[in-house]
Amino acid sequence: MEADGRVLLHDVTVRYGRRVALEAVSGEFGAGSLTAVVGANGAGKSTLLAAIAGVVRLATGVVNCAARQRLAYLPQLASIDRDYPLTVSELIALGGWREFGAFRSPGTALRARAAAAAETVGLGGRLGRPIAEISVGELQRALFARLVLQDAAVILLDEPFAAIDPHTMPVLLDQVTRWHQEGRTVIAVVHDLDLVQARFPSTLVLARRCLAWGATEMALPAMAA
Amino acid sequence: MMSLHALIVEPFETLAFMRAALVACLALALMNGAVGTLLVLRRMSLDGEVLGHAVMPGAAVGFLYAGPSPLWLSLGGLASGLAVATLGGLITRAGARRDAGLVAFYLVALSLGVVLVAWRGSNVDVMRVLFGTVLAIDQRALLQIAAFSSVIVIAIAALYRPLAEGAFDPAFLRAVGVRAPYGAVFSALVVLALVASFQAFGTLLAVGPMLLPAAAARCWGLGAAVSMALAAGFGLAASIVGLLVSYHADLPSGPVIVLAAGLLFGMSLAAVNAVRRLAPTLARGS
Repeated sequence: MEADGRVLLHDVTVRYGRRVALEAVSGEFGAGSLTAVVGANGAGKSTLLAAIAGVVRLATGVVNCAARQRLAYLPQLASIDRDYPLTVSELIALGGWREFGAFRSPGTALRARAAAAAETVGLGGRLGRPIAEISVGELQRALFARLVLQDAAVILLDEPFAAIDPHTMPVLLDQVTRWHQEGRTVIAVVHDLDLVQARFPSTLVLARRCLAWGATEMALPAMAA
Repeated sequence: MMSLHALIVEPFETLAFMRAALVACLALALMNGAVGTLLVLRRMSLDGEVLGHAVMPGAAVGFLYAGPSPLWLSLGGLASGLAVATLGGLITRAGARRDAGLVAFYLVALSLGVVLVAWRGSNVDVMRVLFGTVLAIDQRALLQIAAFSSVIVIAIAALYRPLAEGAFDPAFLRAVGVRAPYGAVFSALVVLALVASFQAFGTLLAVGPMLLPAAAARCWGLGAAVSMALAAGFGLAASIVGLLVSYHADLPSGPVIVLAAGLLFGMSLAAVNAVRRLAPTLARGS
């Protein structure tokens, strides 16, 4: 993967009305790094991802990301409307949006890639199912498959492992590892600190401001303090 | 005992105004099926209701200027509807409580419209603007309704993918770099649809034929495009039943059509719930 997967933050502050959600965060996610973002509730973890994705307005500062055109963002599962009439394969194929755009249909090659991606997350037999009829874990797998299709250099995951069943957990973790091995930059909000210890080389500890940022064994103790 | 022909066909066969109403309702049902389904999918029903009333003051100003001319009523309604849609967007961006802001608009717009019409017009004019005159649609009004409906259906067909996907996961669209303001485009289409309906159903009822058939169709859990077609079918069925009932029973047509659509919604809910309750039993039996 090319070396433009770096994400640079300089003095990033985000406010919702008068409330400061994120204050003066500066630093760098290296190209191809795998970073867990940890912190208490309301620490600004989701806001940080939204700021990098460019979906919230910054009060101050800049986010510098050369791969902005190849950035993928998976918000919390709760923000997905599960009643929406869409099948698993249609949901996954949306990952190719940049290829077919607003006015064309996904082609056969893209459909084949969608089917292959479904296979890797263990959803091969579920392609024709409406998303209203699959489990939460299966929905998250489908969203991961959509990310696979996006072929992004930078991947942002907001609490990807929250409320996930034990069968799905290893599938998702393997996919994250695969992305890391492929040299993509992965930034994930994670609650389970043991998981962070075991699987994430880098950690960013947030409490509105940045408390610690670096190698996990160095940064994670700041979470307990 | 009345023959079936006298009951169902004769009113349309003998009376030109019934035919005009039927054609207008068909055009509106096709358009409302598409717009209403997207409104329901985007969970914007309340927005639709508010925009319906936002059309009111502008239409009233058009009325003051030119009397009950369909063109001026529509232009005025379009202007104030779009203005409120824009203001609503700004308010949301400013972070105010959205529901309270919308309801405030709704009440102020409605009252302002009634006061303006009553200032120069009669009670009949007020009723006409509030509840429409589906049985008094002349050829010019019919052409206008058909033109508006066509434009809306074509626009939704062209923008179907981003509009539908924006309803499902707007954050994803922004993240893949879609910058076009499809939300605003959709609001404008809703205003246009309400202005088209307004002649037939008035500002108070125009949202009914838009939302109720779409909500009824949504009960059946079909794909978005099929849901739109079913909503159009429901809308047309409600219109035919409503027109006939209002003719034979001498009741106001607009409200009866909306009631018929409401009945379809209730029946869809009941039927889908019954199927859900029966389905496991049937599966075990087979």
